[in-house]
This record gives sequence, structure tokens and C-alpha cells, in this order.
Amino acid sequence: MTEEKPKYDRGSALSIFGSDRREDFMALIFALIIAFGVYITH
Amino acid sequence: MVYTKKSPALFIIGVIMLAIWYLADAGMLQPYLDHLAMGKKYKYMAEVTSIPLYFGIIAAAIGLWQWFGSHKESNWDYYSSTIAGGMFILLIAMLVRWFVAPEVAVISHAMGKVGDTGAYIHKLLGLNYVVLGILTGIIIVNVFKIPEWAQNGVRLSRLGLKTGVILLGTLYSAAELKNLGGLSIVMIGFFVLGSVGMVLWMGARRHIPNSMGGVLSAGMGVCGVSATVAAAPVVQAKSVEIAYTIGTILLWGVGCMFAFPIIGNLLGMSHVQFGAWAGTGILNSAQVAGAALAYQPDGIETLKVAEIFNITRVLVLPIIVLWLAVWYVKREESVTQTVNVGRVIFEKFPVFVLGFILLFALSTTGIFAPANHYKGKYFNNSTDFKEKNLLSAEQKGVITAEFDKIQRQDRKDAVSRLLENGKIMSIADDDAIRGLVNAKVLSKNADKILKGAHKAVRHTAKKIKAFRNWITWLFAFGLVGLGMQITVGAMKQAGGQPAVIGGIVGATKAVLSLIVVLMLVSETV
Repeated sequence: MTEEKPKYDRGSALSIFGSDRREDFMALIFALIIAFGVYITH
Repeated sequence: MVYTKKSPALFIIGVIMLAIWYLADAGMLQPYLDHLAMGKKYKYMAEVTSIPLYFGIIAAAIGLWQWFGSHKESNWDYYSSTIAGGMFILLIAMLVRWFVAPEVAVISHAMGKVGDTGAYIHKLLGLNYVVLGILTGIIIVNVFKIPEWAQNGVRLSRLGLKTGVILLGTLYSAAELKNLGGLSIVMIGFFVLGSVGMVLWMGARRHIPNSMGGVLSAGMGVCGVSATVAAAPVVQAKSVEIAYTIGTILLWGVGCMFAFPIIGNLLGMSHVQFGAWAGTGILNSAQVAGAALAYQPDGIETLKVAEIFNITRVLVLPIIVLWLAVWYVKREESVTQTVNVGRVIFEKFPVFVLGFILLFALSTTGIFAPANHYKGKYFNNSTDFKEKNLLSAEQKGVITAEFDKIQRQDRKDAVSRLLENGKIMSIADDDAIRGLVNAKVLSKNADKILKGAHKAVRHTAKKIKAFRNWITWLFAFGLVGLGMQITVGAMKQAGGQPAVIGGIVGATKAVLSLIVVLMLVSETV
């Protein structure tokens, strides 16, 4: 799937990120931000 | 390429969200919400009177800028253009969760219970906000098409799902892996290796290309799309074979997502049993989550078990990739391009799984909940216990009258201590009493009293509760977006041999894992 980019010049049909690895890291960053937010506010 | 569309759509979405908030907060929606609540308290009131306000302001403000601002090609343009699609998905998730799903429940209740099942049809069919959200997504993409301004944002759904999976790690502690980890490893190991082997064997008998068989086996055996993508370079799969595999997985997974909860309800499976079955039998991580949430929309126990099994399956990926590489090299004498297996594993191993493990490790240290927490809940019958929850004389009378029905000594002892003290005295007693309730030995009234006694000594950590809310919304968001990626074209791509092989292997795995789960998994949450 990642090699077919008919509509976007970045990312793939399933993701705005150029690679699964980058998407994974972004998900990790978001999750850590949420976890930190929950930790300090609850 | 400039991605941001000069469209009023995002602004309108913001206005709709603010209107929902205003109407709910001012009480103007109350008659309708009361109708949805069917005589009870409308359970999403806190959400309806807060979430649309925050997101409505953000959407309206950015929407005005997108509508009237000037946009140039840049990173900012690329990423900010996803906000419209993201808010579109979020709005659909809100409407479905707060209004559509409860309305379906109202209609279902009006139709009465189904035969001898004792359940309403929306429960049997799993028609809750998760399934209805995915269905809405499928309808939008296939009937109306995704609006151009929303298309870039729809590609955020997988990010939402992965973030949700990582956060699931906060809900686990080492204590529960002691109970589930061993079983999940044995079951997953057996079924993953069995599925991969079966696809490769059937592929050879039906003369499909080795590259097709290889990539399909990874997709059917391990974890759907991620495994397909990870295995593709090892078996030198062509684009069309990857697409066929993904089409087969999605088609099969969609069927499972709807069928599993129905079968689970018909068989009266416990949350742990269903979670183990879904985590083993369904291929795609998102669809595992969809089925688990469909089975238990108001709780997360099923999802957590399913994810443990699912995560265990993902961890097998490097082994499968290694196996396929060796298998492919042996089968294809004409392989010209050398494949570096170690490098493929290093490059394709899903980091979000490591994120899950990281948060699991943090959770095990006790920073999110008391160290003895089990699934986010912890036992406390002293400082956190409310005196009003002590058993009344009348309640003690009900239990005492049925005491002789209890056969097991540990349960008798636990109930005796409960009657003596008016509250459950230890974790072991609590487990024994939960087992007694699940065994349905006593009357409904007595079971209700015992359940109340259980709830009185079990507390959910506030942080874990907050994490559950985050996870629920991230999955709702991701699954609505997932629905928007299921086109009729992708489903048709599953036709032919890959679909036949995928269907046979998938059905075999689903049936065998169901039998194993029913025989071996008995714990009830």
C-alpha cells in the first residue's frame, strides 16, 4: 500500500506520514503527552 | 501541492459542535435525552456538555482561517489540512455515540427481547456506537464519497488507533499478565504458526504465486495490514498482491467484526473468553478492537484481554518474517535480490508495540494506580470504604436464607465473613464471591446484593478512569475513520483464490480458537 500514492505527494493512502515507523513514533509522542497530562491533572 | 481547501466545512462543523453543546447545556435537548435514556439518567451528559464546547471553538476558529486565509505549500499547510477531516470524523463519532446508538437501543427495546436469548436485538447484533460508527464511515465513503476537504484528515484514523493501543498499556499490570500472559502466548503461538503454515500449504496446492502465498500467510496469521506490509519485501510481493491480501483481510475482518459479537452473545461468553477469542481469531488490530468494543461497549475488560492476545500476536511478527524469508528463498530458486532479514525486521517492527510495553512498565510501577491494582481496579475495604455500603440486616437475611445452596467451602467461608463484618474482608474473599455470582447458584436478588458488596470494596483509580476515556475516544475516532477506508472496490479485490484461501484459513482459526477458548478460558471479569 505504501508504494501507491495516487492522490497525495506525501504519506500513503492510509496515513499522512511517510512511513509506518514515523507514524508509530508520532503515536508514541501523543500517547506520552496524554499520559503526562493525565498524571499531573488527576 | 497545497492541501488546505478554502472551504467553510470546518467552520460549519465547529458551529454544529457548539450548537450541540449549547442545546445540551441549556437543557433544550433534555426531553430528547430523557427519551434516549429510557427512564434512567442519560449517561453521556458530562461528555455532551463539555467535549463539543472545546472542539467546537477549535474547529470554528481554525475553520475561519482555512476559509478566508491564504494557504501556501508548506509543512504547516500539509498537517493543518488534516484538522478538517479529523473534526469530521470526531463529529460523526459524537453523533453516533451520543444520539444514534442510544436511539437504536430505544427502537430495539420497543421491539422486545429476541426469543429465548433474553437479550434485545441491538445487543445480539452488537449495534452500538462502535459498529454504527464504522457502518456510517462505510456508507459515507461508498455512497456519498469523502468530501475533498476531509480526505487528508481521514488518514489520521490509524494514528488514533495506534495511540489508543499504546495507552492501553497503562491499564495493565504485571499481576494480570501472570494470569493471561502464559495462555495468550501458547494460544497465539499455536494459531499464528498454524495459520501461516496452512496458508502456505494451501497456496502451494492451489498454485498461487509464492509471493502471494507468503504475504497472505503473514496477513492471515499475524496482525493484518502491518504484517502484510512487513512481510512483503521478504517475499518480494507485488503491489497487486499486497492489495489483494489487504482486501482479503479487511473483508474477512469486517465479517468477523460483526459475526463474533453475535456468536459471543448467543454462547453467553464471558468478557475474558470473548477477548481471548477475538484477539486470536480476528486478524486486524483495529477490527479486534471493534469486535471487543461491540461486545462490551460500556466497559473495557473485553478490549483489554483482546489487546493482550493481539499484542502477543504482533510480537510474533519478527519470527514469522524470519520464517517466510527462509521459506521463500527455499521455494524460489530464481530469487536474484538478496533480502536482509535482520534489516527488514529492524525496519518494520511496529514501534507502537514497544510504546505499549513502555506504558505497561510504567503502570506496573504503580504511578497510575495503587500498586496492587488489577485492571485499573484495586481492593480497599478500609480508607476508601463508605460505611453506607455495609450490608443491611435485610440484605444479610436474604443471603443467610440461601446460604445452604453454596457448595464450595471457600465460597462458604467468604460469605460467612461477609455476613459477620457487613463487607468483604480480603481480595481472596472477593474473588470467591465473584465466582459465586458468576456461577449463578443463588437467586438474582442475592446475586445483586453480592455484586453490590463487591463494588463497595473495588475502586477504580481516577487516572485509570481518565485513560479509559481517552482510549474509548481514540478508538471511536480511529474506527469511524477505518470505516471510511473500506470501499466496495477494496472488498471486491479480495475475490478469487486469496479470498478462498483466506476464508478457509480464517474460518478454521476462528472455529478452533473458539473451541479452545471455551475449553480452557473460564475466568470471568
